[in-house]
Formats: sequence, structure tokens, C-alpha cells
Amino acid sequence: MLIPIIGLILGILVGLLVPIDIPISYAPYASIAILAALDSVFGGLRALSEGHFDVNIFITGFFINALLAGFLAFLGDKLGIPIYMAAIFAFGVRIFQNLAIIRRHMIDRLFRKNE
Amino acid sequence: MSYKLKGHILIALVCFLLGLMLVAQFRSTQKSGSALTSLQRIQELTTELKTVMDEREKLREELAEMRKRLEEYENSAANVSQVTEAMKRELEKARIAAGLVEGTGPGIVITLNDSNLPKQPGEDPNLFLIHDEDILKVVNELFAAGAEAVSVNNQRIIATSEIRCVGPTIMINSVRMAPPFVIQAIGNPENLESSLRMRGGIIESLQVFGIQVSIKKQDKIIMPAYTGPIKFEYFKPVKAGE
Repeated sequence: MLIPIIGLILGILVGLLVPIDIPISYAPYASIAILAALDSVFGGLRALSEGHFDVNIFITGFFINALLAGFLAFLGDKLGIPIYMAAIFAFGVRIFQNLAIIRRHMIDRLFRKNE
Repeated sequence: MSYKLKGHILIALVCFLLGLMLVAQFRSTQKSGSALTSLQRIQELTTELKTVMDEREKLREELAEMRKRLEEYENSAANVSQVTEAMKRELEKARIAAGLVEGTGPGIVITLNDSNLPKQPGEDPNLFLIHDEDILKVVNELFAAGAEAVSVNNQRIIATSEIRCVGPTIMINSVRMAPPFVIQAIGNPENLESSLRMRGGIIESLQVFGIQVSIKKQDKIIMPAYTGPIKFEYFKPVKAGE
């Protein structure tokens, strides 16, 4: 559990040190990429705790989700329909689901240790 | 254990990316927040505008004062001799031609206002507004029909008058104005009105978009004088015979 948190902190530090600028017109894409990354992190943690983590599925899942979400945002931009909402919705639901499952696993483990 | 470690390292990698993007996004939203004009800046500009407008008002008063004084000088000079009397008459004629004199006479008053037709979604709202071009066309038509003096919202149209779109308003003689536009013209009222009401003419084309037009013939119109500054920086007159 410690290594991902270290990774996050490192990422924030590098982001603070290296001035990366996202143009405002790309803000919806960036927000969707952030959601995709969050979704992947929680999905990966869940899979790890359930013991069926697969490197290939994790990596491809991350990139393909991000690409599809970006494509939807682009398409929505061109058509004037906020299709990226679909991606936000799907990712949001999945994040909460995965979080709930991770929480259950953690509680299970805690109680098993106590018993 | 190496399986779990591998998973953790991969997730840490994605977390790294996540942190990077979070910071970048945070920074860009912060920047866009500051790019919006702050309330303080708006207030600053408002007070600045107000002082400049006050200043302009003062200068305008000063100009009127100077004009009056000039007139007094002319009057007193005219008393001196007949030559100056003749010169003064000549000057008066030139003034009338230049639009520097208030006057009255028969003519028509045209009132233009933006359309009150219900707009259909998808239609260009610009079509339902009065533009500088519309005013320009009306004024042009009036002069073509023999109008001797034309004013728009009490701004006399003179040789150097501009009729120009400035954002949502129209500028004439450097004065901004908004609808409704009251255009006065002195001339033969019948001729002026029929020139505007010509089939396929300017009024007909404006009424297609529901622009409200009213034309009134009047026996006596008070035509304001041009009150703005007159400055010739580049123009030099050529004397006859040179």
C-alpha cells in the first residue's frame, strides 16, 4: 500500500518542480485523463487484493480507457454534445464500486487478524 | 510476493502520472481563475471611465464657451464697418453649409428601433438589430432625395461625420448611441418620405426583419448644430490663382 502513495507524492513533487501547462481548451481532456488514472488505480488495487491482478490487463486498461474517454470528449466537442459526461459517469461509478470492494477486503483482513 | 510487488510498482507508476496531471490541472484552473477580470479591476476601470467622461464633458462646455465668445467678437467687429458686415454674412453662409448652425424647416422624422419579432431558434439575431449600415443607408437615401440637413439622435451629420458600429452601439460624431434612432431631415417632406418608402427601398428591406420604422412628416423640425471639435491637421486649402 505504501509504494503507490510514494508514487503519487513523487508525481505531485515532479509536477510542482516541472512547469507543465495544460492549455485551458484542453482542460476537459485533462480532467478525463485524471479520472481514467484514478479508475485504473482503484481497479488495480482491487484486483491485487482479490489476487487476480494482471499486468497486461492493467496497463492496456489504463491506456485504452484514457484514449476512449479522450476520443469521446473530442467527439462531443465537435458535435456539441457533452459525451464526455458518459466517461465521467462510468469512471465515477466504477471508482466508488472499486473503493467499496477494497474497503470490504480491508475490513475482512483486519477482523481476521483480530480473531 | 514478487507478483504483489510488481502490481504495486505498476500502480505506483499510474499514481505518479495521476499526481503529475493533478498538479498540472490544478495549476491551469488556478491560472484561468486569475485570468478572469477581477472585481477590483472592473471598479478601477469604471472610475477611470467616469473621470475621463467628466473631463470630456468639461471640455465640451469649454468649447461651447469659446464658440460663444467668437460670436461675440464677430458681432462687435460687424458693427465697425460694412466690409466686415459683408464678411460676416459670407461667414454665416459657410457656417450653414458646414452644419455649424442650428436651424428649422419642414421635413420628416424617422424612428428606427430593433425588431420585436419573436426570434426562431437558430436564426441569426444580428438580422433583427439595427446596424450602422442601416442608418448609413437611410441617411444616404435622405441626402439623395434632397435633404438639406440630417441629424441622427441630435447629432448633425456633417462632411466628416462617421456612422460606425462600436460594439453593441453606433458611433456618430464620436458620440455613442443605442436604439431607438431618431433621424431628422429637413427638405421637401413628400420627396423625402417617398424616397424611403420606394418599393424595394430601404424601409421595405428593414421591415422584412421586423425592424420598427415610423416616418412622420413635420412642418417644423429643429435641426441641431454640430457641436464637436473641428480640426484640420493635414488639409491645406489651395488659393485660387496660385
